[in-house]
Amino acid sequence: MPASDAMRLNVGAATRPRFPLRLKLGSLVGSSETGLKASHFRRPWLAAGLLAPQLLILLFFFFIPTWKALSLAFVQVDPFGATMIFVGLDNFTMLFSSPEYRDSAVLTLWFTTVQCFVTLFVAGLFAFATDQVMRGRAIYKGVILLPYAIAPAISGVLWAFLFNPTVGPLAQMLHELGYAWDPNRRPSDALLLVSVAAIWKHVCYDYIFLVAAFLAVPASVIEAGAIDGAGPIRRFLTITLPMAAPTIFFLIVMNFVYGLFETFGIIDVITHGGPAGSTNTLVYKVYQDGFRQLDLGSSAAQSVVLMAIAVLFTVLQFRAVERKVNYQV
Amino acid sequence: MASTYMKSVAGLLAAGALLMGAAGASAAERVKIEWWYAISGKLGETVQQLISDFNKSQDKYEVVGTFKGNYEETMAAMVAAYRVNQQPAILQSAERGFMTMLKSSAIIPADELMAKQGYKIDWSDFVKPVAGFYIVNGKPAALPFNSSTPILWYNADAFKAAGFDAPADTWQGLEKQLYALKEKKVTDCPMALPGDFQWSLIENYSAINDQPFGTKANGYGGLDTEFVYNKTSVVGQVARLKKWIDDGVLKIAGQGVAPISLYTSGTCASIINSTASHSAVEADAKFKWSAAVMPHEEGVQPKNSTIGGAALWAIKGKPEEVQAGVAAFFNYVAQPNVQEWWSKATGYVPVTNAAYAKIKQEGYFKDHPTREIAIEQLSRGEPTDNSRGFRFGNHNQSTAILLEEMQAVWTGKKTPQEALDSSVKRGNEILRQYEKLHAGK
Repeated sequence: MPASDAMRLNVGAATRPRFPLRLKLGSLVGSSETGLKASHFRRPWLAAGLLAPQLLILLFFFFIPTWKALSLAFVQVDPFGATMIFVGLDNFTMLFSSPEYRDSAVLTLWFTTVQCFVTLFVAGLFAFATDQVMRGRAIYKGVILLPYAIAPAISGVLWAFLFNPTVGPLAQMLHELGYAWDPNRRPSDALLLVSVAAIWKHVCYDYIFLVAAFLAVPASVIEAGAIDGAGPIRRFLTITLPMAAPTIFFLIVMNFVYGLFETFGIIDVITHGGPAGSTNTLVYKVYQDGFRQLDLGSSAAQSVVLMAIAVLFTVLQFRAVERKVNYQV
Repeated sequence: MASTYMKSVAGLLAAGALLMGAAGASAAERVKIEWWYAISGKLGETVQQLISDFNKSQDKYEVVGTFKGNYEETMAAMVAAYRVNQQPAILQSAERGFMTMLKSSAIIPADELMAKQGYKIDWSDFVKPVAGFYIVNGKPAALPFNSSTPILWYNADAFKAAGFDAPADTWQGLEKQLYALKEKKVTDCPMALPGDFQWSLIENYSAINDQPFGTKANGYGGLDTEFVYNKTSVVGQVARLKKWIDDGVLKIAGQGVAPISLYTSGTCASIINSTASHSAVEADAKFKWSAAVMPHEEGVQPKNSTIGGAALWAIKGKPEEVQAGVAAFFNYVAQPNVQEWWSKATGYVPVTNAAYAKIKQEGYFKDHPTREIAIEQLSRGEPTDNSRGFRFGNHNQSTAILLEEMQAVWTGKKTPQEALDSSVKRGNEILRQYEKLHAGK
């Protein structure tokens, strides 16, 4: 139907007079002129102009900080910058030979993994239940989404206070139940408290995505399953979940990023990384060593290690997990 | 960028002038002196009062005070600002950061500044423990501002109910009393552990009981000092604290709760905390509160405790007229009547003999006996190498390590000896790093 195609083009051009066709086709050499080659710009300044905002963001928030971290990782420096001594790999060897750093690395791996999958599981349960809730669905959703609206520092203060072993009401309840709850003295309690607070804060994020993903599953497929005799749980596990795989993969990546980098505020308020470093994740340690103790060399070396981990991790995740994800619906 | 910045500054000034009415006209021409401070709550309000009094006392300078978080946070903000030339003219820095500031090359020594700007301050008039800390080779590096020392706060009602008129002088005696408070069900929390217990219960403990904390007279003798507190009676002290914690006699406040509020609210019957808690205790405690000198070990002749708190540092890289303003402010702060007012309003010790004598003469200590405990404890006996004070490079860092290792004792991960050994070992690495960086300075 060539006539209707031409008409549509005309209509398009007529409704957008500010973008004349000449500019669109003139500045872009599309596949129409050069066959199968990818399109390129004839005027480099336009390309540069379009790229600039993104590149500037990268420059200021990635390349410059990276350069700073790299330049500090190989020196020992007075906090005020008056004296600087090149020490080669000293900062790194000291880091890797420090048992505190190894403990922190193991803790981070454990914390991030548990946080990632528990969050996903809880959010999945809630999202699955959303379909089953008939009355008051809006309230149900609202309640689940509430924690996302609370700033990490404020939620941290609340958790810290509610579970404070001396004055916290929830801690008193645990004591009455015979549990000697004390996050100041029992590392496992501190870790549990931080984990629960971190998960509580992030469940809503996963929930929104999962609800949307589950809703996107065509009703016809689910109905076909129902006609074939599959119950709601079977239908969920064999139809909905596989079809939501791309979203779940995305959430796994986001949860890891959250666990690694964004739980900082919660840890800072609830435990300060204590007791005895039992909740001191790698990111929190960078802050502790760099900004509270002013050991900039070691802190920079830790940032470099962290950056390497983040890069490696993302590549691995995409390689290993993405292959098994089916993007076609 | 610069012009919009100037415009917004001008806009702010204009708005300020409008708000302040007549006074605004002269305020716009005043030289602004930026001061970053680190004390909050009641003490922070008193700082703002001090600033506004100074601004009213003359019309050339305007001190603008900004609260930048606790001492560590303020220091971190300062470091970040200094590197991009956005530093304040005055910084309040804690005694723990003394060496870091002294050798930072970012400061103007207080005596140099005052001499250059034509002010005469009688440095010999500063009370001995304060002068002993801040005066290096006969010259003061910073202006002593808020000086404190830990004292023992107790709930007189609770102690009375357990049959005691006052806390015992020794740790051994105090232990019996605290256990009695618990056993007689007077309170569930005989004592609260302060947040900065390394300062009071370990460093000041060492000074009072004449135990070395580090070699070379606790760092006064040179940068090649080493920590030795794992070989002194500190080991027994930590074991005692651990036992108290295990038995529920000593409680850790934890995050989200200020330890002193456990005392002022009446939850805990005692706490060893700074004398600067006077402002909070006087305002909040609804029971018969009192204070006493810190306990000492049985059979030991107790020495002086050491000072805490902070000093004011003049920061480099400011124009001449700002430096003149800093000197004028320092001069104002050092006046006996300002010192007297500040000490009364906060509970910090008066830092000059003149102010101390003035307060004593008018009989203030008769009505407020707990106000004199700190200064008496600070000037008790002749200071020894172990009690003069602490001069360790990057002491913030070694303090954080000591606190972390102590938490390992509370959690049962390490014995007191293991934790102190590890703390000394890690602390010495920091001292060596500092020595390497500052050799020959």
